[in-house]
Amino acid sequence: MAYQFDWSIIWSEPYFRWLIIGLIKTIEIGLLSWIIALPLGIGIGTLRSLPNKACRAIGAIYVEFFRNIPLLVQLFFWYYAIPPLLGTRISRLPNLEWYCAIFGLGIYTASRVAEHVRSGFNSVPIGQRFAALSTGLSQFQMFRYVIIPYGFRIMIPPLTTEFLTIFKNSALAMTIGILELSGISWRINEYTFHGFEATTAAIGGYLIIGLTIIFLMGQLEKRLRVPGLMRRE
Amino acid sequence: MKEETPIIEIKNLSKWYGDFQVLDDITTTINRGECVVICGPSGSGKSTLLRCINGLEDFQKGDVIVDGVSIKEISHTKEIYKLRSRIGMVFQHFELYPHMTALENVTLAPKKVFKIPEKEAEKRGMELLEKVGLREHAHKKPGELSGGQQQRVGIARALAMNADIIMFDEPTSALDPEMIRDVLEVMVDLAKGGMTMLVVTHEMGFAKAVADKIIFMDEGRIIEQEDVETFFKNPKSDRAKEFIDRILVHI
Ligand SMILES: Nc1ncnc2c1ncn2[C@@H]1O[C@H](COP(=O)(O)OP(=O)(O)O)[C@@H](O)[C@H]1O
Ligand SMILES: [Mg+2]
Repeated sequence: MAYQFDWSIIWSEPYFRWLIIGLIKTIEIGLLSWIIALPLGIGIGTLRSLPNKACRAIGAIYVEFFRNIPLLVQLFFWYYAIPPLLGTRISRLPNLEWYCAIFGLGIYTASRVAEHVRSGFNSVPIGQRFAALSTGLSQFQMFRYVIIPYGFRIMIPPLTTEFLTIFKNSALAMTIGILELSGISWRINEYTFHGFEATTAAIGGYLIIGLTIIFLMGQLEKRLRVPGLMRRE
Repeated sequence: MKEETPIIEIKNLSKWYGDFQVLDDITTTINRGECVVICGPSGSGKSTLLRCINGLEDFQKGDVIVDGVSIKEISHTKEIYKLRSRIGMVFQHFELYPHMTALENVTLAPKKVFKIPEKEAEKRGMELLEKVGLREHAHKKPGELSGGQQQRVGIARALAMNADIIMFDEPTSALDPEMIRDVLEVMVDLAKGGMTMLVVTHEMGFAKAVADKIIFMDEGRIIEQEDVETFFKNPKSDRAKEFIDRILVHI
């Protein structure tokens, strides 16, 4: 029996509303976990760039731990393994899966952000440090006025990629019961057996998010563009 | 003509990177107002020596005394910052801050280290850019300037702290021939104006024109230090002879 396409599924109620809710949830998970990942990642990445050995070690342990365990396992860990240990007040929290997804995705992505931050600072030529220090700037001023602004510009492209990835990785939240965009398309398939149309709608949603981010980050990059530093014509 | 007041005294300075000895018992004195040229094959430790003088690198033996202050004693204290501001430095690859305009490159340290008000720092910055012939390029970023222009901004930046001494580390080696002259002109002016200068360069024309002394280094050691004429006419060591032949042929 040939598959009967029925694109009206996407536009009919309640599926259209579901898709919109799913899309919003995907955006929320992505943004909220990014709000955790970015500052935490910058902090850890900076720790890894400091002269102090203990700081570097702490940073390295964090990164290697979170980067080398599958994200799916981490989400299961935060959702299934940890809450029971914390007593019923936590394990019966409404929307527990929601907090676990945002937290898990945030601290996992922080480890990846940290790596980009570290390699960004590392790619600032050593001569920039010599130049800054030779004029009498302190170590702190050198970081504040030279290394950070220079390194940050190097980091924008890889951090854009990471920001895109966090929305894609947010699809894993469906495995702990969140009906975000992917979860919704799967559910529509269950109700209607029109998986092709449902997943196409989800693909469209991810594309909208992704292209918007690429556009916005492109604008940011243009504003911060430094002649001769970022060659992306 | 020149009073002989030592401003930099390097005493039995030795430095190792792990097992590798980069500097081997360096001893020399640079007097106030002198222009001293350092030359020698690549890898002989010239850049490292400059970086030891302003405490950018640690060393294991000996000491550097700058205007009576021991670098060894202050290298891990806040004092070193103040001392570095008195020694300007110009780099082979310019090392301008790419995210700042030429003027901002020049004024950053005066504003942040000496807390000079923005307006005043800019006024002085413009004067310095004028001095190196770049007034009209003040608001361009380094990436929009030619190599020679960038290096002149580098010199203006080194002058902005009213340093007593300026060290140049191969300031023209990364430049196209037609730009070398512009940079050398600025340096010659400085030397004639009585600035104390320590210049790593293979521009022997520059050395002949303004250097009071020339230091030849090889494998971390000072092989010769002479006045310029003696160095070129009667080099004592074979290594210096070879070196002179090689660079003179090149010129
Ligand atoms: N950070 C470093 N670690 C190890 N070896 C170094 C380092 N910096 C320089 N060297 C080595 O020290 C020697 C002297 O270097 P340098 O002072 O740059 O020489 P020059 O400026 O005369 O070409 C070279 O053999 C170089 O490889
Ligand atoms: Mg060198």
